Amino acid sequence: MFRYRNSLIALIMVFSIVMATGCTPAVVTPVVEEPAAETPEVAATEAAPATEAPVFAPGTTITYIASQNWVLDSEMELAKKFEAETGVHVDFQIIPSDQYFNVLETKLEAGGEGIDIFGGQSGKTDIKLQLNVEKNAVPLTDEEWVKRMNPLSVEQISLDGVTYGLTIWDTIGGSWVIVYNKTIFAENGISVPKTYAEFAAACQTLQDAVIIPVYEPFADGWHHVLWFLEMGPVYEAATPGLADALNINKATFSGNPTMLTALTELKEMYDKGYFGDDALSNEFANTEAAMAEGKYAMTVNRFGLPSQIHTAFPDVDEDNFGYFLIPLADNQIWNVNPAAPSKFIYSGSKNIEAAKAYFEFLTRPENLQFMLDNEAQFTMLNFDGVKAELTADQQAFIDTYTEQGTVYQTAVNYVNPQWMDVGQVLTALLTGAVTPEDVLAEIDQRRTDMAVSAGDEAWK
Amino acid sequence: MKNKMYPSYFSVGAVVLYSLFMVIPGIMGFYLSFTDWNRYSSEINFIGFENFTLIFSKLNYWHSISNSLIFTVVTIVSKTVIALMLALLLSRGLKRSSNFHRVIIYLPAIIPMIVVGIVFRSILHPATGVLNEFLRGVGLGFLTQKWLTNPDIALYSVIFVDTWKGVGFIMVILIAGIQVIPAEYYEAAQIDGANQWDEFWKITLPLLMPTLTVTTVLNLLYGLKVFDVVWVLTNGGPGYATETVYTVVFKEFSKGRYGVSTALSTLLFVVMSICGFWLINAMHSKELET
Repeated sequence: MFRYRNSLIALIMVFSIVMATGCTPAVVTPVVEEPAAETPEVAATEAAPATEAPVFAPGTTITYIASQNWVLDSEMELAKKFEAETGVHVDFQIIPSDQYFNVLETKLEAGGEGIDIFGGQSGKTDIKLQLNVEKNAVPLTDEEWVKRMNPLSVEQISLDGVTYGLTIWDTIGGSWVIVYNKTIFAENGISVPKTYAEFAAACQTLQDAVIIPVYEPFADGWHHVLWFLEMGPVYEAATPGLADALNINKATFSGNPTMLTALTELKEMYDKGYFGDDALSNEFANTEAAMAEGKYAMTVNRFGLPSQIHTAFPDVDEDNFGYFLIPLADNQIWNVNPAAPSKFIYSGSKNIEAAKAYFEFLTRPENLQFMLDNEAQFTMLNFDGVKAELTADQQAFIDTYTEQGTVYQTAVNYVNPQWMDVGQVLTALLTGAVTPEDVLAEIDQRRTDMAVSAGDEAWK
Repeated sequence: MKNKMYPSYFSVGAVVLYSLFMVIPGIMGFYLSFTDWNRYSSEINFIGFENFTLIFSKLNYWHSISNSLIFTVVTIVSKTVIALMLALLLSRGLKRSSNFHRVIIYLPAIIPMIVVGIVFRSILHPATGVLNEFLRGVGLGFLTQKWLTNPDIALYSVIFVDTWKGVGFIMVILIAGIQVIPAEYYEAAQIDGANQWDEFWKITLPLLMPTLTVTTVLNLLYGLKVFDVVWVLTNGGPGYATETVYTVVFKEFSKGRYGVSTALSTLLFVVMSICGFWLINAMHSKELET
């Protein structure tokens, strides 16, 4: 009897452990996750005219999974209006940004797990390698709103002429430029620099006046990469066709004189203390405070920073800040990045038509205008027919820099996925562990690794 | 085996689970380290020693291996020496409130590493950190450092934090070892005229050797596998200055280079197995001699 009792206990224990193990979720719990509702089939949409609200089965829910900074408050407001209009509820599953791609990839590998819409960064390399949109996303080329989306945005979300996603973002005002304190510049007799030599002289003047020239948040590991990769237009201007040549493996970063110049100048700025003594401890989250207190004269940020500073520190006037381009390698071409957070409809979704209707709803001119008017970080949107209200300084910037070019993390394949690695090797450059040539060689090596792994024909 | 307490099939559950979650993944990992497994391709091809060649040919990987070894050796020495001094003080020296002091010294061991990271990043901040503020306040401003951002000292700052956190745990084990040494040995030694120094060298240390071997094995395996303290304090930076094997493994995994990262893990597994086997063997021989 004792033996049988032992056997029974052992069996129960093993069963319990196996069940407990099997029931443990494999992915990180999202920050916000509403209970998943039933997802019945769409009842009828085919014959619905574009102007009339399509009809869906009662209780239809579309699940949208995205990284934490990609779902805007204004979009959540619009989702409520969409539900009121169509009866379709949008279930937002917002994941912390550092865990997002792990969670997304796990869900996609597991057959979608109820996803209808997923977020991702546009850009040809990212949508092909990281998101595999040809397999995972529904083609949207024939949707009406594609024609109204900025052509550069469309290009970055398309593969072989097929558009796979929707980008609603400030891809123009979202450019990373130097935001400077106009009062400090005026007090020290500094005018907006147009070359690196002028910029370095301005930094020296500020340093002599015991003002730290540039607030650079190195500690986050990603921000200082902007100084190098956002200079894509000037690399392209110096060597026309370079991005295309890099993409077909007919050119390398190594040995490029303009890139070496940019890296050498960045290193010189660090060595001369233009970023301050404690730059490697600076954090991006402290940017507003650092700029508001007047200890720093400049930082690399977007058009929206002055507004954010004013919101956090109402005593600081938004008009106290102006903009100019990062002048490494004498750059005077506006660095534009058409790639941005985007939405894709999952190919395995049971609610494809409802998701398409949601995209159609979001891209109506009045709804786009609502988003622009209610997002402090946006100054304009990448759609025709949306009216932007620019400040005098923003307009002055646009009037000054008429020539535009695409940043290299977007123009060149296999660069954006190694962003954090570039950040690490750049820090190693600044601290003297590697040379500018080593930085470029490392970027080439990682591009080769990715291209070979992806079976890219140009690397065979 | 007639006198065994439980029937052997009692172990089946444990063996199955252990095999399922430890042995089989281990063997698969060993195989995968010889493949080009990556995120960007669904194919997995056998590529021989290519991943290992890459590891030994790239300076950054060597650097991470070297950092792991430095971290291991320095933490073994620092934790053992400090923990031994504290254990002696709290078991044979300080009598009043010794339990209270033991708790205080052990306390860092139970603080989550993420909290330790946040606290020490703040303490060691070059401009606003308590440490530099204190040094400046007492007129020792020339000693202030960029503790976590100077590539020359960042690794040693990480080692200092890890020692602070781990020394209490080692101390508790050593106190247990010291307490089982019979008091008669010390009484006999005192009758023979031995001083405290003699007692330490001739009685305490030899009889504590098995315990010290255990703590050394624990410190060795922990040191070679170190990840969390580096991650929360420096993220492997500045540049590659504090990169260790497991931070590189993590980064390679997140880049989708599963083959290379598995090869690094396999390499470390072999090193740890050899070191662990050697140390346990040495401990066993010592016990036999005793």
